[in-house]
Parts: sequence; C-alpha cells; structure tokens
Amino acid sequence: MSRSQSGWRLGVDIGGTFTDLVLAAPDGGLHTHKLLSTPDDYGRGIRDGVAALLGRQGIEPAAVDRVVHGTTVATNAVLEGKGALTGLVTTKGFRDVLEMRRLRIPEMYTLNYRRSEPLVPRRLRLEADERVGPEGQVWRPLDAASVEAAAERLAAAGVEAVAVCLLHAYANPDHERRVAAILRDRLGDDVFLTCSSDLLPVIREYERTSTTVINAYLGPVIRGYLGRLREHLDGIGVTAPILVMKSDGGIMSAAAAAEKPAYIVESGPAAGVIGAAHAGARDGIADCITLDMGGTTAKASIVEAGEVARTGDYEVGAGINLSSKLVMGGGHALKLPVIDISEIGAGGGSLVRIDAGGLVRVGPDSAGAVPGPVAYGQGGTEPTFCDAVLTLGWLNPDYLVGGGLAIDAGAAAQAVAERIAAVLGRDVLDAAHGILEVACGTMMRAVKAVSTYRGRDPRDFALFAFGGNGPVVAAAIADLLEMTTVVVPPNPGVFSAYGLLLSDVEQEAARSHLVLLSETGPAALDALYRELETGLAADMAAEGYAAGDYALRRLAELRYEGQAHELAVPVPAGPDGLPDIAAMAAAFGAEHERTYGHRADAVAVESVTLRAVATVAVDKPAPKPKPGGANAGGARPAFFGAAAGRPNVPVVPREALTAAPRGGPLIVEEYDATCVVPPGWTARLDAAQNIVLEKGGVA
Amino acid sequence: MTRARLNARLNARLNTGRNADPIALEVVRNALSSIADEMALVIMRTAYSSIVRDSMDYSTGLCDRHGEAVAHGLTMALHLGSFPDGMKALIAGYGDDTNPGDIFVFNDPYTAGGMHLPDVYIVKPLFYGGELEGYAATLVHQIDMGGIAPGSTAVYATEIFQEGLRIPVLKMYEAGRPNETFFRLMHANTRVPDKLAGDMRAQVAACNTAERAYGGLLERYGSETFRTILADLHDYAEAVTRREIAALPDGQWSFIDYLDGLGDDPEPIPLKVTVTIDGGRMIVDWAGTSPEVPGAINCPSPFVKSAVQLIVKCIADGEIPNFEGFARAIDIRLPEGTIVNPRPPAACAARAIVGWRAIDVLLGAFAQIVPDRIPAAGEGGVTFPAISGMHRGRQFVLSETLAGSWGAMPDRDGTFGIPNPGGNLTNQPAEMIEALHPLEIEGYGMVENSGGPGRFRGAPAYRRQYRVRAPGGVQMVMRSDRRRILPYGLDGGCPGTPSWNIVNPGPGQRTEPVMPMEAVRLADGEVFCHIGAGGAGQGDPLERDPALVAEDIAEERITADYAAAVYGVVLGAAGAVDAQATDAARAELRKARGKGDDPAPAYLQMFQDSLGLPDFRLEGERRMVYAEKEGD
Repeated sequence: MSRSQSGWRLGVDIGGTFTDLVLAAPDGGLHTHKLLSTPDDYGRGIRDGVAALLGRQGIEPAAVDRVVHGTTVATNAVLEGKGALTGLVTTKGFRDVLEMRRLRIPEMYTLNYRRSEPLVPRRLRLEADERVGPEGQVWRPLDAASVEAAAERLAAAGVEAVAVCLLHAYANPDHERRVAAILRDRLGDDVFLTCSSDLLPVIREYERTSTTVINAYLGPVIRGYLGRLREHLDGIGVTAPILVMKSDGGIMSAAAAAEKPAYIVESGPAAGVIGAAHAGARDGIADCITLDMGGTTAKASIVEAGEVARTGDYEVGAGINLSSKLVMGGGHALKLPVIDISEIGAGGGSLVRIDAGGLVRVGPDSAGAVPGPVAYGQGGTEPTFCDAVLTLGWLNPDYLVGGGLAIDAGAAAQAVAERIAAVLGRDVLDAAHGILEVACGTMMRAVKAVSTYRGRDPRDFALFAFGGNGPVVAAAIADLLEMTTVVVPPNPGVFSAYGLLLSDVEQEAARSHLVLLSETGPAALDALYRELETGLAADMAAEGYAAGDYALRRLAELRYEGQAHELAVPVPAGPDGLPDIAAMAAAFGAEHERTYGHRADAVAVESVTLRAVATVAVDKPAPKPKPGGANAGGARPAFFGAAAGRPNVPVVPREALTAAPRGGPLIVEEYDATCVVPPGWTARLDAAQNIVLEKGGVA
Repeated sequence: MTRARLNARLNARLNTGRNADPIALEVVRNALSSIADEMALVIMRTAYSSIVRDSMDYSTGLCDRHGEAVAHGLTMALHLGSFPDGMKALIAGYGDDTNPGDIFVFNDPYTAGGMHLPDVYIVKPLFYGGELEGYAATLVHQIDMGGIAPGSTAVYATEIFQEGLRIPVLKMYEAGRPNETFFRLMHANTRVPDKLAGDMRAQVAACNTAERAYGGLLERYGSETFRTILADLHDYAEAVTRREIAALPDGQWSFIDYLDGLGDDPEPIPLKVTVTIDGGRMIVDWAGTSPEVPGAINCPSPFVKSAVQLIVKCIADGEIPNFEGFARAIDIRLPEGTIVNPRPPAACAARAIVGWRAIDVLLGAFAQIVPDRIPAAGEGGVTFPAISGMHRGRQFVLSETLAGSWGAMPDRDGTFGIPNPGGNLTNQPAEMIEALHPLEIEGYGMVENSGGPGRFRGAPAYRRQYRVRAPGGVQMVMRSDRRRILPYGLDGGCPGTPSWNIVNPGPGQRTEPVMPMEAVRLADGEVFCHIGAGGAGQGDPLERDPALVAEDIAEERITADYAAAVYGVVLGAAGAVDAQATDAARAELRKARGKGDDPAPAYLQMFQDSLGLPDFRLEGERRMVYAEKEGD
C-alpha cells in the first residue's frame, strides 16, 4: 500500500506541561498551536487542540492524512510506577537478575543511596526449570511442569502482562516459545506477552531481561492510551493513521507501538533531534550539536553528516543523565537504540544557591512550574536561572513572550541581589552574569558528553538551539567550547512537534552473533542478515509496505576481541553483493581511532550484534520563505559582562533580520522564544528562515 | 576553639584567602571532573580484560603540577587516595627529568607508592607553553602480572617476589618514543600479554584524551590564573572538609573488627581504629592493628588512606570535592610494620580485603559519632575468585568482584544488589562468562532466610554458583571473608549471616576456607558455590513492624516458619498478620532471652540448616546486643 502524501500533516508533541501542535500544509506552510496538557487523559487535550487548530485554519478534518505523535506517556509510566501488573518467567537460578542489575549505582561516596524498585516484584518473578548454553545447545530440557506451575501462580495474581526471558534465548528461542505457549494457554488472550527472543535477541541477561520487562510493563498502558487517542481523533473526524515517534527517531504505526512500546520510551526528546538532523541536512547544516533547554533540564545530542547518534546503553527511570554513561545503574536498562541524548539538570527554573564552601551552584534542584522563578510572582523566593537572565536584561521584563504571563523583573533582580550578590560581595549585574556563566559551564558538560566524550571536536559543529531557553544561552555556551556557529530554527519553542513531521518510517531487527570476523565468511554473514531482513519484511508488510517501498541498511556492532563495548558501523557490500568483511574491519578501526584516539589493527575484530533497518522515506514539508527586513522592535539595556558593559540593545522580531549579518548585541524576540546575540556575534536569516549566529562574523 | 569562632575563621579564609573568581573556580572544578570522567569512559570502552571492562576495577584522575590530585573519575571509590603516594615517588625520581611526550609506568608498593602489583599506574605529564602544568593519572587492575598464580592475586604468597613483576617508576614512553625494553620485559612476564598490552593502550589513550582537554583549560585561563584557581580549589576543599569535621562532636572513639584469617585453621586478625575529632581536625589512628601476616593480605598504606578519605566523604553532610586539599584536614596514622602499613618484602597481592575491612572498622567508629548516618555492617567487601584454566587452546583467567548485601540503615532495611560503598563495581553477565569461558553459572541471586534480623534487617546474602565445563578442569584462587566473624549489627540488631565456599553442594559437599592457602582444583563437572555474608540488622528484631515481616514472606525473602522463630510474627489465613498471635509469640521469645548462652540463635541455625551445614563454629562473634536491653 502506498500512502497519499499530498495532504495536511499534523505533528503532536505532548509533554508534562504543554501539548504542542504543528500543522503542515501541502505547500509547506506551518501553523502552530500550544495548549496545556491534560495528564488525566492526554488524548482529550490533543483532540481539543487539533479541533481548535483545524477550525482556526478552516481545514476539513478529513484533509489530514497523517498524524505523527511524540509522547512522554511511556517514560512517565515507568517513572511513576504506573505500568501494568507484570510477571516474569526466567531460567531457574536467575530470578533475581532483574533486582541485582549490574550492581553499579550512579553515585559515589554515599551511604544513603535508594534504588528504584524493580518493575516486577520478586513474588511475580518465577523460574522455569531449563537451561540453554551460549551456542544454543540445550544443557537441560524444559520442564513443562515448572512453567505450568508458574502460569498458575501468575494467573492467581491476576497479572496483566508477562515477560519471558530465558538464558541464551538469543541463541535458541525454542524454550521461550514453548514457555510463551503454555502461558498463553493458561492466561488467555488478554494478557500481554513479550519474549526476549522476539524483542531483543542479544547477549547479556540483565539488559535483555530488563528491556523485555519494560515492554511487558508498558504494553497494556500504551495499548490503552493509543486506543483512546484513536477514539478521540475519530470523534472529531480525523481518521488519518497515527504514527508514533520511536526513541531512535524513526516512526512506527500505532499498532506496532502498542506491540513494542519499549521502542517509544524516549519518544518525546527524540523528535527535536530528528528535526534538527533533517532540517540541518536540508539547510546545509549537516554537522550540528543540538541544544534543547527547557524549564528543568538542558539536553544535547550530536548530528553528523545528517545522521543522529544512537546508543544502545540507555536506562529509563534513572532521572537525569548527568554525565554520559559512567553513571549508569540508576534506572532500568533499556537495550534498544535510543538517540544519544545527554541531559543536565539546568533549565529556566533551576535554583541558584551558594554552597557551604562559598561557590555558586545552579540546579539540579528546580523551582518547577510552581512556585517557579521569583519573577512569576507565584510565591517563589529563591532566585532561579530565569531570574538571573531577566536581571541581565536578556528577556522581556514585562511578560513572558507569547505566554501572556505578566512577570516582575524587579523582584527577580532583588532576589539575585539579596540572595547571591550580597553574599558574594558583588554588584547585582556581575552576580547575575556569574550565574549565567556557571549555568553555561554546567550545560557545556551535556554538550561535551556527546562530543569530546565520543572523540568529536565541538568546533567542527554548529550549535542547533531550540526549546524555550535554548536560543537564550546558545551563543554563551558556544563561546565556552569555541564553537563559531549557532542556528535557531523557526518556531524554536515548538520545534519538537515540527521534528515529528520530518521523521522516516523505520523498523529494525537485531540479533547476537558473537564471532571473530576472521572466523566467519561473507556468505554466512549474508545469510544471517537475510534472516533478519525476512523478519523485517513481514513487519513492514504488516504496516502496509511492499518491498519496493523501503530501503534496507545493514549495521554491525563490532569490538576488538576481549573488549566489552561495541561501536556500530555500516556493513558495506562487496562486488559480489555479500558483506565485505575486510571493509567492515577497516571501518571499525577507523571509527575506533576517531572515537578513542587509537586503533589496534593487530587485534582481531569481533562481531557482537547484527542489525538490519528498513526505512521508508516520507516527504518532508519544506518551509515557506517569508519576506525578511520588517521594521519593528525597540531597545532595552542588557548586560554582557564587565568588558562589554550594559549597552542599550535593539530588540527585534525574526522578520527584521535579513541575509546580511547584523552585529550583536541584539535580541530577537518571538512569541515562543528569545534569541540572544551577544557582542562579537552576528545574526542573519538564511533561506529556510533559520537565524544563523556567527562568532566574529562581519556585520 | 568554639564552633562559632571556627566557622568565622573558615569564612574569613574562604573570602580573603582566595585570589581567583568563585565563578571561575566552579567552572574549572566542573571541567576537571568532566575530564576525569572522560578518561574513565575511554578506559571502560576500550579495555580488553573483564575485570576492567565489566567489573570496572580502575581509576582515573588529574593532578596539578605538584602531583596533588585535582579530579577523580566516577570509578572506584577505594582508589581515591591512591594517586598521591605514587605521584610523590614519581616526582622524587624524575622531578628534573620530566619532558613533553614522556609517559610513566609503575606498580611497586615499596618503591613507587603502588598498592599491589596488578594495579598498574600509567601517568602522563601535561605541558603548556613548555611548562609542566599537571599530570593525567590512570590506575588499572591488570588481569595478570605474572607470579605464583594466574591473576597475580594469590592469597598464599608470603613475599612480594612471588607475586609478579615489580615495576619501579619508569618511562614507558620517552619524548613520545616507546621504551622497547620495558615493553619486551612486560610481554615476557605475564600470562596474557595481549590483554595486558591492550589495557595499557587504553590507559595511554585516556591520558592523551586528558592532555587535549587540560590544555584547553590552560589556553582559556592562562597558566598563572589557572595555577591560582587550582591552589584556591585545594583551599576550598580543605575549608569544606574542616567545616564538616567541625560540625561533628569533639571526642575520641575506637572500634575494632577482625578478618577471619588465613587458611584451614584461621586466626582472627584485628583491625583497630581510634578517631579523634578536635574542632576542624580529625586524627585517624590505626594503632592496635595486627602486625604483618605471612600471607598476601598486607595492605600498603595508600589503600587504607583511601578508605579513610572515602568514609569521611560518605558521612559528610554536603559534597566534598575531590581536591587533595581536603586531605590536609585529616591526619592518618598508620604504624609501620602492621597489616595497614607493611614493610618490604611483605606480600600484598590480595590486600584489598584489608581495605574492605577498614571500611567496616571506620563505620563502626562513626556509628558512635553520627549513628543516624551509618549502616550496620554489610557483606564485608568484595569476594574475589580468580578462576583459570585452558579454553580453546589458550589460557584464560576469569576474575570476579562479587558483592551486594548492605547492612540495615537506622531507618530502613539494608539494600540488596548494590555494590559495597568502597567500590562502585559491576557484576559480569552470566551469558558473557559462558560465551567466553568453559564455565556455567548455575545461579546468581538471593539466599532466602539470610542476613541479620533487626527492626530493620540487613540485606539477604547473595549466591553465585559455577559449574566447570572444561575437560581439563580449572583452578581457583579464592579471597573471601566473614564466616566466623560476622558483620556487626547496630543498636541491638543481629549480626549478618556467614559467608561460605562450598564444593559440590548437596549430599557429599565439602567446604573450602575463606582464604585457602593454595589454589582450589575443580574437575570437569564439579560445582563451586559462593555465598556472601548477609548484611547485619539495626534495632531489636522483635520491634520490627509485622507488616514488613509479612511483606518479606510475600516476597519470598523469608519463610513463614523463619518469621515465627526469629521475629515472632504469625500470619493468619490470608497472609495477613495475626496481631494477637504475634504479640503472644513475641512475649515468649522475649522471655527466652538471656537464659544462658544460646550458642546458635534461631536465625543462624535455620540459615545453616538450609545449607546442610548444621555444625559450625563462630569466633569473636559479637554478643547478641539486644540482650543488653534486658534491664530496660
């Protein structure tokens, strides 16, 4: 089935506070709408927002031919413990793997660490008497009676979902299938079942068990959520298919998402990165680092040659990922590809404090939405990052742009003066600027975690800034890392919802294949990939795609023999069409050198996991150019540090910019975000309406 | 000095003694720790041996140009104080002969400030504008450095000469050129030259990563300002530490705990600490600790210093930064010739056991100072089996770091399945072990009816069971503890349950000592089961909330008969607590207390019975402390 791609497309991004909608016209024109989320039933807010937006634009509901959805519902279900009552059947002797995890915790020097509870309590983690070895050989046959007893107990407990994860099932799924059949028999069709060999047939029992459990735990929740959303949209006449953003930035049908909800755990943050990758590639910014700063966190991710970076080492429910992957262990392992996003607890609402030793700290504690920054006048007394930036004159002192919320910049400055400047013995502007520096120094760590930590030099990248606060701090952070280009896309405040419309339909399949490259052959590898691709073809057919509709890619996760961590490289085909093993090894050596600064050509290269990916490229709305050079704006004093002082800075709308660079200091104020152009930077508008800031550019 | 005056003095120091900008201090502090983390990531992802890549037994750090630590990666807590002594030895030996492109290597405890021979230090001096500005330092537990047993951690060595290759401070690279003599010597003195070379490469790569980033900071601030910032950060760390110490009550507290001892007929080995708090100063004196012993558990001083520093960080209310300045506030006294400061040529390969016990001893002392922050004793540190043999024509060594049972906190049960506070180590996936070694992991999980009872109970013990699947069999070097001298309880909580090493569990089983003085040989098909010690409890078990006991039964952590015998908790038909029957049962249990010497409390007897080891002997075991409450 090939789908019409000529109609209206709708991107729907829900977060804890706001639901963002972007409607793309067939000619590429964009219409946006922002409303408060309805957490008791998000679908209701979506329905109301969609109805309002369509009504406002005079669009028939039937003219919408695709709805793409990004959602934090799955993450929140894990964070809040609101998943299904879930059971686990595992191999005898391994009942506690889910609870012991990999032991390691994300904090040091603490006697008071509290670990999150496992998603399945011990009483519902039951054992099957069986054992398979690492090559798939059966060391002990499955004792069906042990499974029947487990099924009996799970039935008595009234579980809504069951995960099945047996040792080495990636190498031989037979026992898992038989366990699943017995469970299905006893528990009936309504119970949600997931086998590890179907979801994630790769080695390492904790990570596989945890991922399988997450899928089961979310299954009934996501099935219900997407079902209700469907009803809400049908109710207002929007019958277009719903596609859901996956954590890796691809999109999948609602039906597939309901079957494999573990894939959509990081659906929310993924959309912005995908948007940056596609918009960047289209607009000539193929290498960029994204910076998405909101109210409580700042997130960074890297895009190289238009490709987002993905990681297989991820955890859900771990709170904030403070410093890349050294601090794992706080949450539940999710071993599925996720866009590699590094997060720092610094946002607009982050509290500013002076610690016991007299140093200024920003975050990770946040004033949240209530009481919020002092400037909001909702009872907040502790200064926040937002109050400091207001004090500097960088934000509109009278109202939150576009939000209609009156704010009190005087109260903000007073809090900064009393709580921070007085203690430091400094001038209030100086103190506020110091707060900005500390916050940027902290956020810089998120940017480093996705660049220098991976052997990438940030100076080779543009900083692609969005989210409510990203464009405020982007140039300041770029300065710290000697990055010379910042890009602020149109509609930066709802950019994630726009990113949803730029995603391709993607499905992937993976399997463990632990073998030295020198001990396998092109034909053997090809056969394994073909097996994966046959499975993918069936999945894609179920989604309505024929073989000609999608492109296939092969990836391999490789390492030097003896290492524990892999790097993913594409698998090139040789002249005979079979995998070119020498080229794989060479690509791995190059990637290893690029990432870690050294390679070891004398050491054997080992394959760990093979992946195949099917992609349907969707056509993407191209932005409709708008005329620039509008005459508008005013000016206000803004402080840029002792050297630059506090000049009177022009405040203009985006439309006032042109292709000719205009020198900073300059503030670009829009309804959903503010872009700050410090002294020493210039700003111009490119053909795609992006604001491009350049360091040391000539105005 | 009064507390107020001391605080005033500290504030004055903070505000006047500082030359650099507090904003710059915070930014640099963050930047340095992110570099140390970045180094740690490079090693984690590129190392070749399982103990590094999966157990993460390594550390990374940065030192200033004086060799004083200014950052430590988020890796192994017990390595915290491991760099200063080595850096002193390096600077003493090469202060005038350190040049760009040099890279140093060492491991020797007695000439180079090392800890034991497997811990190999690789350090790169960092230059800016031709001047030495700092050092990138790495420390990796290498899988084999030669010596009497595979893994180089034999408990049964009696002199360091039996333990492997001693490396004094040497240049492995000189002005960028590899020192081929060193590499050839190294290659010839290890059982696994490829892995050793690979892991050393990872260390060098981490140093090179740091070099680039550290240079970036110097570029940004300039050498003079940068040096001032570092000096101020040392002062800052000292001030924060002194303030934390000053917040503790003044006085002197001692605590003594024991290692079970060596071999088939072990003699308990005492570790004693006396902590003195005097205003903003702390003295930690180890007088009273056992002299050196004729086994490889003598612990060169850096590791014990690390234990002290890490516990001070653990009990601090706020965060103490990893700047060596913080060590100035703590006076650590380690009498020479004792197990915590041995003299050459005392063997020390398995010395970590002393570090783990030092943590227990320190926590026991601090439990008297700040009881609300301290857990009862946990499993007693990492059990360290090194299993070796032949597989697919090559020699293999599998070392594991097993842990995971904490003692109870004053307000909640001990956590199960997290690392000992001394080392943020990981376990290794059973599937990966089986894919790479001729072993089957038969089970890994919780032992039911284990751990020390209490108002809050200790975490249950863990069990790890191996089956040999190697036609030629394997040998195993084993370092464990806490069988006869149990983890101590606090505030009337019961001691934890003992650890065991059992061969072929079931009828006909045999046990091995906690620290056998020879390699244990296991034939094809034989089974080895290690059970870690269970965490100790806090508070009287008869005061435990019956609902928590019912939850433990529902979660199958304990059985109903255990609950009745140990906690006096009786459940009714639907699994709910029968309050009346519980009151009666508890009254009976209280009455039975103090009636002479009960050699085996019910919880220990039930635990032992379940292992088929009903006859056992405890030594130096603490008296059941709840008996002291009889007079209340």
